Amino acid sequence: MKYAFFQGCNIPIRIEQYANATEAVLNKFGVELQVIPEFNCCGYPVRNVDEKAYILPSVRNMAIAERAGLDILVICNCCFASLQKARHVLDSDKELKDELNAVLASENLQYKGTVQIKHYLTVLHEDIGTEQIKSKLVNKFKDLKISVIHGCHILRPREITKFDDSFVPAITEELMQTAGATSLDWQGKLECCGAALAGINDELSQILLKDKIRGALSAGAEYITPICSYCHLQFDTAQKNLPQGNETNKLLPVLLYPQLLGLCLGIDEKTLGIVQNSTIESDDIERLKSLLGPPVEEKKRRKKKKVAA
Amino acid sequence: MTINILLGLALIICLVGLFFRFSIWFSQGLQPSPAPVTAGQRFSTAIGAVLAALFSSKAVLIVKSFFVDLLFQKRIFDKSYLRWTAHTLIFFGFIMLFLMHALDSVVTANFFSDYEPTLNPYLFLRNLFGVMVLAGLGIAVFRRITLKPQRLKTNPADWAALIFIAVIIFSGMLLEGSKISSYTTYQNMIEEYGSFDEEETKALEAYWVQENGLVSPRMKKPQPSELVASGMEVNSDSCMECHAPNSSAFASFAVKGVTRPISAIFGDATAVNLFWFLHIAACFSFLAWLPFSKMFHMVSAPVSLLIKGVIGEDNKQAPANQLTHQMIGLSACTHCGSCSLECSSNMFFESFQNDFILPSEKVQYLRDFAAGKVTDEADLKRLQEGLYVCTSCDRCTSVCPSGINLKDIFVAARYSLLEKGIPETSMLSHFSFPLALAQNFAGDHLKALKTVTDLFKKSFKQLSDVSLPMTLSRKQGVDNNSFKGCFSCQRCTNICPVVRSFDNPTESLGLLPHQIMFSLGIGNTELAMGSKMIWSCSTCYLCQEHCPNEVELCDIFYSLKNDAINKIEAGANA
Repeated sequence: MKYAFFQGCNIPIRIEQYANATEAVLNKFGVELQVIPEFNCCGYPVRNVDEKAYILPSVRNMAIAERAGLDILVICNCCFASLQKARHVLDSDKELKDELNAVLASENLQYKGTVQIKHYLTVLHEDIGTEQIKSKLVNKFKDLKISVIHGCHILRPREITKFDDSFVPAITEELMQTAGATSLDWQGKLECCGAALAGINDELSQILLKDKIRGALSAGAEYITPICSYCHLQFDTAQKNLPQGNETNKLLPVLLYPQLLGLCLGIDEKTLGIVQNSTIESDDIERLKSLLGPPVEEKKRRKKKKVAA
Repeated sequence: MTINILLGLALIICLVGLFFRFSIWFSQGLQPSPAPVTAGQRFSTAIGAVLAALFSSKAVLIVKSFFVDLLFQKRIFDKSYLRWTAHTLIFFGFIMLFLMHALDSVVTANFFSDYEPTLNPYLFLRNLFGVMVLAGLGIAVFRRITLKPQRLKTNPADWAALIFIAVIIFSGMLLEGSKISSYTTYQNMIEEYGSFDEEETKALEAYWVQENGLVSPRMKKPQPSELVASGMEVNSDSCMECHAPNSSAFASFAVKGVTRPISAIFGDATAVNLFWFLHIAACFSFLAWLPFSKMFHMVSAPVSLLIKGVIGEDNKQAPANQLTHQMIGLSACTHCGSCSLECSSNMFFESFQNDFILPSEKVQYLRDFAAGKVTDEADLKRLQEGLYVCTSCDRCTSVCPSGINLKDIFVAARYSLLEKGIPETSMLSHFSFPLALAQNFAGDHLKALKTVTDLFKKSFKQLSDVSLPMTLSRKQGVDNNSFKGCFSCQRCTNICPVVRSFDNPTESLGLLPHQIMFSLGIGNTELAMGSKMIWSCSTCYLCQEHCPNEVELCDIFYSLKNDAINKIEAGANA
């Protein structure tokens, strides 16, 4: 299986480790990712300004993937939603499709509508499946408490993103379980990290961020796992910039899902780029590693007992 | 004599131009509310940094950068083999011609004691280098034409540079070609270097007509082979020591077809003089033109690359050096368009049709802006929009073959422009997100943001401004009609994390989500557009997802935001 790897604008320059860890994990299951340098911005940043200007960039990206004969694999929620939105809109609006295709025609591109947009979690959960993941585990976490923050644009609006149940998402739950981690039930799990307001209304953006940090900490989270790259930047960068800190004396460390799973698959932490998360400190990493154990511990012990008996 | 005066004149213009360009490095800069640093201080800070680098372990980086970035041009190589081939052909061809041919009396003659311009390998190499340059120019022209649909902009100045170099090379080839055919030149050589009897003279001439492309008034090709054979003997006895066969000047030998008709019309001596004049004039004008054109990159790009080689990615410099670095960067741009080809915002350029969205076009204009030459408000506004419609992906900086730190230049330029107080509505987009993360010029950002929010307050009616009774209007401003399904259950407002964040949400947000649907319902789109709520929406879609009657609140907010910005922009442009 091979996908066109859509990294967006933030990941290659600011969250390289997310791309590297995702690629390392997916490669374990024979999924190849091809970086396509011609991809441009997904269009998301301009959505407040002009809806058509928001759709066009995604259409070009999809046309490029179609020309390469590949489906698109996305990490960032906002890129994911933009691509899905463009697909959805053009499916029912032929006039707009022709209009935007006319723009693309000058560089010999055409969007037909054949390309599939997949989030990497969908690939892990559906195409690879938890059973296959389990079969490749060399480690498993025990007593690891994680607050997952889904990010808004992967779940909602559900008829556009078509990712998971937008009220009771199950994909992240099951994937966390597969790695032995506990995905906490916490206030803020399905809510906004505040990124969309950063630079426009910083105060409000920070209120929303602090709200999430507080929620995660009070639920007993040791790490936060943002799915979206914008959420990641909020927790991993903006958290440090908060004027009064995050109201505790320690940063809530960020751990990305492919990093967490990667450790269970035996991928070394350097490849996973865990230290590149700027909120995670060495004792957080040590603690994380101390929670790793053999994947089928209990059964083995029973067997050993039998042998001893 | 004349030639020396002309050369002197060209050199003086060139030196004055260089001085002018260098002085810009230390006297101009892009930053909001510039700190008072004099050019002298900047110059000494820069010299200090250069010396510090030279006398530290960083000297190794300079040497490495010299070979890797300057000579090998790895940054171009990494991006495009075709472009690297083109540039390397021009670069090496031109440099070698400059050193071995233009400066032959200084360079070549000193390195090679047997140097004669008419001997091989010099005769052959001159042609080879010339053809290399022409081949490189051919690829460059091909690239400029074929990449036009991918938003590669070509200015008259780009064509001028290509044409200028082509004229130098072609005129040189024509000059050599006309000399090859010229009987006058041939006779001068005979007079100067040979003493032959009549038999030998005839044989030699026959040989040169037959083999060396000479056009003789008394002999035509083909010549009898015995005569040519004895001419060859005379040639190898008397001429070959100083003159290789003309065919080894393969390019000039091949352009005989062009020069011969001209020689036939004007006379061979006049033709030689004509091409000589053309070649010298082209070379000298190029020299004088260099500092004022993009060819200045021959000086500034190496400096820019060496700086990048030394300071690397983290880019920590004294503030005075930052400005100088900016200006060196701006002067090192060759308008090659690599940045614009890979710009993540390329589709926004297609939508907004603003050239300044493309990084390569911004740079051209920022030079004038830094010099204080851009004063037209419409131009400033477009430049400002172009600077703001940027995803901060930093691709431009990573691809620039001249190693220009475009990211830094654009960030500083953005806030220098915003400082002028022209409201920038795209500040209300997510382009602001990476800027908020980086926290550069945070105070300037807030100030500029306030200009925009004030404009909104002024442009739209607030709920508090509306006098009762409110009347029902048929006018509806949004395409998305789903608000008609609203039955005011207030689920949207109750679930909204933004509303929840305020003690007194109505006061802080103007209208609450359900009230916005309501005002659309009574046809008061203006009121909806003016509410602070739409700009406080975190676009989390919870309202829309939870609405029991499928009102697409978040999408409606987006279109209200679009409409509000359009209205403001239409007002500003009217």
